[in-house]
Amino acid sequence: MGKRITVDPVTRIEGHLKIDVEIENGKVKDAWSSGTMARGIELLLRGKDPRDASYVTSRICGVCYSVHQLCSAYALDDAFGAKVPTGGTLLRNLVMGAEYIYDHMLHFYHLTALDYLDVMAIANYKGDDKELLAVKDKIVGLVKSNDTYPLTPRYKPDEYCVNDPDTVITAVKHYIDALAMQAKARNMGAIFGGRQPHYQSIVVGGLTQYPDINQVLQFKTMLDEQAKFVEEVYIPDVMAFGTGPLFPLAKMGLGGGHYNYLSYGALKTNPPKNDLLFPAGVIIDMDPANLRVKPFEAAKITESVKHAWYKDSKPLHPAKGVTEYDLDKENGYSFVKAPRYEGHSMEVGPLARMLIKKDPALIDLVKKGAKPGAVARHAARAIETKQVIDACYKWIDQLLTEMTKPGFKIHDSENWEIPDAGEGAGFYEPPRGALGHWIEIEDKKIKNYQAVVPSTWNASPRCDKDVRGQYEESLIGAPVPDPDNPINVVRIIRSFDPCLACAIHLIDPQSNEVKKFIVE
Amino acid sequence: MSPILGDINRRDFIKYTAMTAAALGLSQIDVMNKVSEAMAASSSDKPPVIWLEGQDCAGCTTSFASTLNPPAASIILDTISLRYHETIMAASGHKSEQALHHTVKEGGYVLLVEGSIPLADGRFCMIAGRPFEEIVLECAKNAAAIIAVGACATYGGVPAAGPTGSVGVREVVKNKPIINISTCPVHPDHLVGTIVYYLTTGKVPPLDKEGRPLMYFGESIHDNCRRHAYFEEGKLLQDWNDPEQKNWCLIDKGCKGPVTYADCSVRRWNDGLNFCIDCGAGCRGCAEPIFYAGMSPLYSDPTGKAEELKKEAKIREAKRKELNTGKEVK
Repeated sequence: MGKRITVDPVTRIEGHLKIDVEIENGKVKDAWSSGTMARGIELLLRGKDPRDASYVTSRICGVCYSVHQLCSAYALDDAFGAKVPTGGTLLRNLVMGAEYIYDHMLHFYHLTALDYLDVMAIANYKGDDKELLAVKDKIVGLVKSNDTYPLTPRYKPDEYCVNDPDTVITAVKHYIDALAMQAKARNMGAIFGGRQPHYQSIVVGGLTQYPDINQVLQFKTMLDEQAKFVEEVYIPDVMAFGTGPLFPLAKMGLGGGHYNYLSYGALKTNPPKNDLLFPAGVIIDMDPANLRVKPFEAAKITESVKHAWYKDSKPLHPAKGVTEYDLDKENGYSFVKAPRYEGHSMEVGPLARMLIKKDPALIDLVKKGAKPGAVARHAARAIETKQVIDACYKWIDQLLTEMTKPGFKIHDSENWEIPDAGEGAGFYEPPRGALGHWIEIEDKKIKNYQAVVPSTWNASPRCDKDVRGQYEESLIGAPVPDPDNPINVVRIIRSFDPCLACAIHLIDPQSNEVKKFIVE
Repeated sequence: MSPILGDINRRDFIKYTAMTAAALGLSQIDVMNKVSEAMAASSSDKPPVIWLEGQDCAGCTTSFASTLNPPAASIILDTISLRYHETIMAASGHKSEQALHHTVKEGGYVLLVEGSIPLADGRFCMIAGRPFEEIVLECAKNAAAIIAVGACATYGGVPAAGPTGSVGVREVVKNKPIINISTCPVHPDHLVGTIVYYLTTGKVPPLDKEGRPLMYFGESIHDNCRRHAYFEEGKLLQDWNDPEQKNWCLIDKGCKGPVTYADCSVRRWNDGLNFCIDCGAGCRGCAEPIFYAGMSPLYSDPTGKAEELKKEAKIREAKRKELNTGKEVK
């Protein structure tokens, strides 16, 4: 019998997550992932004006708010029969581009980097770079004043933590720089999004911010600064860590999991044409030597509640709904449900997207021996950030052409009024992975609303067949030599960029099937 | 003596002033010279802060972390001693809880709460195995000041419309004054400014009847709106595609400016870059206690206030026209 330890709360993530692991012979033998907070966002939408949904669902998450606003708008567009004009699509895409940049940067520097750095090594910096010396002074000052919050307390740095003073001090300087850069990237999104956090302008039918040329130029100027930082700082940092000090973790395949990957596909590169920046697809039981990607079929998704705090039912398609709370359930240990694709537990997010896209840079890393896992997730984020930036430049050019044509439109004003009845579904690929929103309208009001979000896939508990969720599976075999210092556990979990406020959702028992699916 | 801070001694005052100076970008030495002639103060005596997150989305944290002037990094590392903040702190699990218990025991910290508190069943929000309500009550006991951050922690916000019995801090902590900084999410200026006000004066800023600082929530969005002149003329946006209507009043798109008290129209958001009305969406009333349920339908006029104001404006406009044409007005 192994020793069971609990990490609660798992910090530096969005939301409230508890992880239990059983340790045997210095390795994780079994694991349980529990979402421990629920608000009932979908239930409170019942009976409301459907147009409220894109505003309210933004509040599902204060980090990745824009993706819910957009995905909800996709579902509403579908239900209202709204045709978003090309101008509206381009503006929405630019807001999403900003979201990708800030989200990935924030995740790497502010949420996860402290897992790989021994910050106190800064004291040994012997160089004479003025900016780095200022960082040294700052950190040494904290130590001298005996107040190093919030950098301590912490898990003890292990042999995989970088402690080379030059590397650490540079990384900490970039942590500070990146805090301003992510804020600027959010502001960039607010040019067309209205304000951040919780952008305002994305509504059913398009967008409310009628752009002028100067706003486009402002966006482009801010994008230039982001592109420079991403190319000269963020990507080199990730690659230097991933192929350098962290390569043993990559080679070990720390945090691999089930090796099943899913992407819904997203972001039209050249609207209104349907080519997507991130293609849809499914990989089951990945073989790196022979990467086989199957087409994605939405009807193959089911959700199990056997181990979630909801009244029991058999696994159902998400749009068919289930459940009321059952907080006393014997088998229950999470507010997160267990979505499965053809019964498989899937990983969604940057690693899934880059594998499904067969991205040459990522495949190259895999060929060099970096197994898909915690370190590869960081690499995949950096790779796709660059792809999004390149796409933003194309969208800017296209937008300038479109908006100087007569009759330029950003919104479908013909379909603003609420239909008497209707159904809609929206699919998107936010930075954290596959996101779906479903809506059903009756008597001009929301009858049922539902969202299955990236962290529902990744953070799910066991399903009806007792197959572990992806967080749980990815922890199996992870080295934890000291049960009081489970640093590898949080490294693995954070590599997914958890968003637990998103992951927990409640659904209405009376909903009907949504038959149509669109992929934007 | 402030009712919530207790007796601030002189050393504390210097400490707080130094901290304020840092937040404002002044050199600490400058301020020290002005404030103190005799007592030595350690610049390391940063005021301790606990930031709890309950039924939240981390949007207020994100909003705070996105402030550029002053930069969030300088507040976190140089200005305050951030003892507990789930989204920011290095520690996890038992390590993070140790930091919390230690700070609570010491007392005298500023307590910030983000997110609502579920009263229907404590199990709707559990952290480190404890219901959030219990954690808030425990932290409130020894806090020098309590600030509810954002719509959820002040009045329940979006979750209050749901099934978990979500309420703001003032419904749970009854025996201490609560500073309510509403809006969804919190405006970083409102939060940083209120903290600095408190640390500078040792006092709660003047509040309105809903516990909001008057310096930020004293006037209506509508009265200060730069689209107000269009409202008076009856120029109300109907189609977002029409460049001529681009800056018109958004009242027919359900703008809640007339029933919302906050300084967004003047301050704007994100370093003055844009905000809900400038982007053509309109105000959704997130500063008010009735948000969200009482503001829904968001794109209509649930309170009837808009219709009332439009009628009055029509009468004024008619009078102006008559005056301009020289006719007698009855």
